[in-house]
Amino acid sequence: MVPTEYYVLLSALLFTIGAVGVLIRRSAILVFLSIELMLNAANLALVAFSRQWSAAGAQTALSGQGAVFIILAIAAAEVAVGLGILVALFRNRASTDVDLLAEVRY
Amino acid sequence: MLGFFILAVLVTVGALGVILLREPVHAALALVGIMVLFLFVIMLLNVKETPAPTRFPWLRPTAYVVGLGLAATVILTALMEPQQLPSLQVIGAALNGGAPAEIGEIIFTDYVLAFQLVGILLLTGIIGAVSLVQRIPVPASGADA
Repeated sequence: MVPTEYYVLLSALLFTIGAVGVLIRRSAILVFLSIELMLNAANLALVAFSRQWSAAGAQTALSGQGAVFIILAIAAAEVAVGLGILVALFRNRASTDVDLLAEVRY
Repeated sequence: MLGFFILAVLVTVGALGVILLREPVHAALALVGIMVLFLFVIMLLNVKETPAPTRFPWLRPTAYVVGLGLAATVILTALMEPQQLPSLQVIGAALNGGAPAEIGEIIFTDYVLAFQLVGILLLTGIIGAVSLVQRIPVPASGADA
């Protein structure tokens, strides 16, 4: 039986790698991949907590997995819209370098 | 236990591959699970990691420092109050073996509102994505705003 702490540590490690990836990658699509990494790190923690909580009864135990299911669906919607924005962006600029998108803030 | 460590190492190496590999296609391949859509777009756009000098040379070292700080914080928080796990039998009984039927019951009772909202969200996402990528017949020149 693997302790929950190990799963949470792995989740923290993956989340950190994803966060660093968001900061160091310059191609928008790879920034996006890193965000996906962070989402799935959070999912891993949720599933681990779901197992930890299972002693409190099936309702509480499985609600963590239900939450993960919904997060996965939301991530799919996010990917569709995000990649759509990327394609539209690429058509306008022939580049997805996030350093060149400074004027988006105006 | 051994399986967990093997998978953990694999996952970590894959994650490092996502953020460190030079070629975008290799980075997407390192993220095994959800790479198909990304591969499509990478090939469609012919993405390259730009060799041009970055406008923010201080960003990369800062990112590593921030990453170390974040890792330390999250790991410290995770280890703050270690608690004893219940026995495997208790967990197995409560999870009912993680059967799809049990999870489905939760989703369609406690989470039914969220489930419906996710359906609407997915539909909106599809419409949004299609309307974003469709070509406008007359390209409006200089319409940045």
